[in-house]
Amino acid sequence: MTTATASVNGTAWSRVLQLTLVPLVLVVVWQLWGMFLASDERTPVPSRVITTFFDLVANGGLIGALLQSLTRVVVGFAISLVAGTTLGLLMGSYPALRDSLDPIIEAFRPLAPMAILPIVLLWFGTGTPAATAIVTYAAFFPLLVNTVHGVSRVDRKLVQAASTMGVPRPSVLMRVVLPAALPSILLGARLSMGIAWTAIIAAELGVGAKSGGGTSGGIGQMMFVFYSYSIDLNAIVVCMIVVGVVALLIDRLFRIAERRLMPWRQ
Amino acid sequence: MAANATGTAASVGAIAVPGRAPRFTKTRAFRAVRSFAVFLAIWWAVAAWVDHAIQLPSPGRVATALFDLAASGELFEHMLISTTRLVIALVVSVVLAVPLGFFMGLNATANAYLDPLVELLRPISGIAWIPLALFIFGVGDVLPVFIMVYVAFFPLLLNTIAGVRNVDRKLVNAARTMGVGRAAMLRKVIVPAAFPTVMVGFRLAFAGAWAAIIAAELIGSPSGLGFAIEWYRQLLMSPKVFAFIAMIGLIGYLCDVGLRALQRRLTPWAEGTGI
Repeated sequence: MTTATASVNGTAWSRVLQLTLVPLVLVVVWQLWGMFLASDERTPVPSRVITTFFDLVANGGLIGALLQSLTRVVVGFAISLVAGTTLGLLMGSYPALRDSLDPIIEAFRPLAPMAILPIVLLWFGTGTPAATAIVTYAAFFPLLVNTVHGVSRVDRKLVQAASTMGVPRPSVLMRVVLPAALPSILLGARLSMGIAWTAIIAAELGVGAKSGGGTSGGIGQMMFVFYSYSIDLNAIVVCMIVVGVVALLIDRLFRIAERRLMPWRQ
Repeated sequence: MAANATGTAASVGAIAVPGRAPRFTKTRAFRAVRSFAVFLAIWWAVAAWVDHAIQLPSPGRVATALFDLAASGELFEHMLISTTRLVIALVVSVVLAVPLGFFMGLNATANAYLDPLVELLRPISGIAWIPLALFIFGVGDVLPVFIMVYVAFFPLLLNTIAGVRNVDRKLVNAARTMGVGRAAMLRKVIVPAAFPTVMVGFRLAFAGAWAAIIAAELIGSPSGLGFAIEWYRQLLMSPKVFAFIAMIGLIGYLCDVGLRALQRRLTPWAEGTGI
């Protein structure tokens, strides 16, 4: 990206113009359209979206729902991180185990997280465990696949050197294989966190839509309530923007963590 | 992925003997069958232990349900509806994203102005559009297609841009030196060079769309596979739920295998470049 823009822009001002012009024009057009052409009172317009945002922050509803969703994501992600990397390390180091599990994993991996929602509803009801279970399932596969990939590409000489010097097998896994596979694992973690965040919105929306609303909480549920009960489109747009911003922040956070944990990759 | 399985610690002992066909028990098909046999056995045992036909139906019951659904034609009806929506959405997003991607890839000024908008919209997942889209389009056919087009659009666009921009400058310069015109340059140099990356984008677009359609149909459609799984869940007809879920997984798997094969056929020159 940088090489292309460098050839186009001259000054910092033209860069600012490039970054803001199209989004600003669209926001203005949206505002004017909402004010003069839209026939429906409830039509979301930027000014009302902003006031709705401050209302929702002020009454605490948005922050509470966001925290609830984030907690579920973190719990689901943590479970997947432990399960995915452990299984990934084992599968990467023991080809027999990998050969046996690969067909099953390849069969389940393309199955969308939302496809298991009905099963999850049958098993866990419509509360936090259901939403967390879907997140765990969604986050598991990117972590597992990337860990296996990372481990299978670890330099064999390192492993053999450690074994020759009498390092026991578990220590080889923890001290040699795990650090060498870390770049892959962190990439998997970033991908899976992004997928987990999408999945929690889907899960909360789905659980909300199918349980009559009000039982599961979270920002996805909040969106569904705004859709089906209060019909507040401005609030829905606020939630969409918040969901997008959180997704962006999560991605940035993991990229920073990658740079911090692996300075040698610069 | 299976090809580079040898680079690990424990594979030292398993040195392949050259010039001899692998034993039957070492083939991939045998291993897959063995794995699924064990999986089904565990499922059967757990189902027998749970002993609750709604919570966890046994594999046999699910197979019967699958057979019944296939015999009544209901299975194919929902499959046809979902795959039709998928195809429409993929065609629409290709028509929208690929030309725009070529435009943005070739025109640095356009890219500098449009890229911020793309980066603003991209983090908002397709799923998050469902409530607003439900209000705009209502429950029906348009909602799943809209969500899928949105989901498929970004990987296609970004991969097309990347593909166009990563075309080897030397190729372009060589063609230009030899007096190749703009139209021929696009058709004979840039499109073939960018095509493998566009195919990668298409595979990602398919995977995203197939995941999104389930959510969209489950929440906002009276038909399709996503609708069917939740419908039978509400009726507590678990074997049918499991049967439909298996079909969703199978279609996703087969389409991915098909797209990989297509990728090898259409862009054989991109083989071995890691994509």
